[in-house]
Amino acid sequence: MEAMQSGLKLAAPPSRLRRMWKNISIIFDSRVGTIGMIMVLFWIVTALVSLFWTPYPPNATDFIQNTPPNIQNLLGTDQLGRDILSRLMQGTQVILLKTRLPWGKAILPGGVAIWGVLGSVTLGAVLGLNAGYRGGWTDQIIMQFLDALIAFPVIVLYLVVIAALGQGDLVVIVAITITGAPGVARLVRSLTLDIKTRDYIRAAETRAETIWYIMFKEILPNARGPLLVDSMLRVGYAIFAIGTLGFLGIGLPPPDPDWGNMVNEARRSIFANPLAVVWPSLAIASLVIGLNLFADGLREELSRYQK
Amino acid sequence: MARFIARSILSTITTMLLVSMALFLLLEVGSGDITVKILGVFSTPEQRASYRAQLGLNAPAWQRYVDWLIGNDWRAAKRVGYPLVTATNPQTDEKDWWADVDGQLTRWKLEDGHLQALERQADGSTTSHLVSGKWQTNAAGQEFFWGLDNKNNAVKWVRGEGSEVWVLTKAGLRKAGDGPQEYIPLRKGLLRGDPGKSLQYGRPVAVTLFPRVRNTAILAGVAFLFIMPLALFFGIIAGINDGKPLDRFISITSLGATATPEFVSGIFLILIFGIWLKALPAVSIFLSDDAIFKDPKLIALPILTLTAVELGYIIRMTRASMVEVMDSAYIRTAILKGMPYWRVVLRHAVRNALMAPITVIMLHVNWLIGGVVVVEVIFGFPGLGKYIYDAAIFGDFNAVEAAAMLTVTIAIATRLVGDLAYTFLNPRIRYS
Repeated sequence: MEAMQSGLKLAAPPSRLRRMWKNISIIFDSRVGTIGMIMVLFWIVTALVSLFWTPYPPNATDFIQNTPPNIQNLLGTDQLGRDILSRLMQGTQVILLKTRLPWGKAILPGGVAIWGVLGSVTLGAVLGLNAGYRGGWTDQIIMQFLDALIAFPVIVLYLVVIAALGQGDLVVIVAITITGAPGVARLVRSLTLDIKTRDYIRAAETRAETIWYIMFKEILPNARGPLLVDSMLRVGYAIFAIGTLGFLGIGLPPPDPDWGNMVNEARRSIFANPLAVVWPSLAIASLVIGLNLFADGLREELSRYQK
Repeated sequence: MARFIARSILSTITTMLLVSMALFLLLEVGSGDITVKILGVFSTPEQRASYRAQLGLNAPAWQRYVDWLIGNDWRAAKRVGYPLVTATNPQTDEKDWWADVDGQLTRWKLEDGHLQALERQADGSTTSHLVSGKWQTNAAGQEFFWGLDNKNNAVKWVRGEGSEVWVLTKAGLRKAGDGPQEYIPLRKGLLRGDPGKSLQYGRPVAVTLFPRVRNTAILAGVAFLFIMPLALFFGIIAGINDGKPLDRFISITSLGATATPEFVSGIFLILIFGIWLKALPAVSIFLSDDAIFKDPKLIALPILTLTAVELGYIIRMTRASMVEVMDSAYIRTAILKGMPYWRVVLRHAVRNALMAPITVIMLHVNWLIGGVVVVEVIFGFPGLGKYIYDAAIFGDFNAVEAAAMLTVTIAIATRLVGDLAYTFLNPRIRYS
């Protein structure tokens, strides 16, 4: 009896795990997706490792300036004599793992890119669901509002937000949220328009569920596939944007190293040490390409499964 | 069709209004005290308050929005009592405001409690003479006078209460007596082509913006001429070789180019052409306004960078559209009935496949403007993008608003053209 019970207990979790694994493992059917996932995982692992260990303290100016790669500093040193590898590793944290809050030394888990995308998906989903499901005037007003936001060239909108609010991790999150939300909202709206004609929505309406229940419990879960792919791409855009802002000198503030800003600083001593520009550039490009490939693979497989 | 166009235009106007409000709210209401930046952190609160008044920042937000949008000369003219006109200042070639007092262009000055009229002569110089009898009396028994000062403000002087104001000169702040009590900095408003004065440079935004826009137009235009044929060529080649090694190569290269940020490709190109090969100038420093025509080499690297960034995206669009068309039944039919392959591709496929990318490019102008900002900052290219960047860093909201409105207008206009072109080219969606 006891054995049977424990057997039953044991039997339940693996099936669930296996189901999750089966969901995840569809990505391996796509070679492009697998390559992308490996590239992304590489950076996630680097970020996790950097929490506990970097070769040297990333802000210590202990070495000779602008040395090429050698045994001591595997990727060389920058214009202030800091170890580039350590800085590159530490630079993943602000993007992926932590957000520095303006109050003292408080830190929010989850990087700026992650929160920015979460913000734009949340805002976009609320707007898109309301526009799509309610229709009519609500739809008109929301779409007009989104049209106004979309009309801004993205970088100009970033510049405007930063000119207005100043510099900081939270400001970058706000900027990513505002620029990303219209795209998400349009996607969610078109998905909603499709889903709301289904029978289970009729059923929910007949049960007299509230409008918010229908939007968030019935429609949103059924839109998660395309939304997931879109978010994946958006993390890529966000990292791209953080790099660009860092390069323009208005991104994530010091002391944490920021890849874009590393490129910007190294650019000034490009004659002495051209490779110092190359490493952070490669880091940004590889992470963005990885996310793109991952999303492409995911989309391919998801659409194949749906057919 | 007419209804469709009317609706597009109406929605465009609404969009523009919303954008202008959002911009205004964010920049003028949301941002901090601009006078700290202009006067420096060591300025006193008294100096800042005086300067804020001179910039007209004391007015309520809605009033400033209306002023910014449609100007305030009509409002000021009511106070002054004479029509206000502009005349070119021969020294700066910029427009100055004058009151038209019975045909004589006049401004006023308060010196030692005496009001002086400055009258503009035909050659642009001024003569001054004392005037009297201009003062009006208000309910409190104070004598006041609304006139124009020599800094393009409509101002209210109160007799005997000439307040002390801080005047910003080239040498710094100077305290001056006999100052006005109220200011209305005159402007024609954005819709009438005058977005105000740059807070950073003190010159009209419209004047400083124009050469920048021209430079950027040349940069983007030339880049476009390079990008389009190349992108369409490679996109079509990749599309008809779907899945083959050539397609893989083109697709992966263009994905790589798209995923590489502009500043990275820009710096790599500087590294290769500017530093290793020493073939092209690594920065675009303009020694004169028309350097862009005298030394075209200056814009070679910026153009190359823009091309590298945009090419990949448009290749991918063209390829996707080409693959879709090549898969369709009418292409198969054409091939099966024995038409030469190249003729099928050029006559039947390309024409249908180009519709999507061409309209997408119109929608893509937004993105292109973003790329232009980064490229201009990398190379120090004096264009619209660098202008917005510099203004945003300083917090010069008049300049940011004008430049941002301009980019938004360009983006919306091209999108509208793209929409209309698409509707026109594709009868299937014309009336839906």
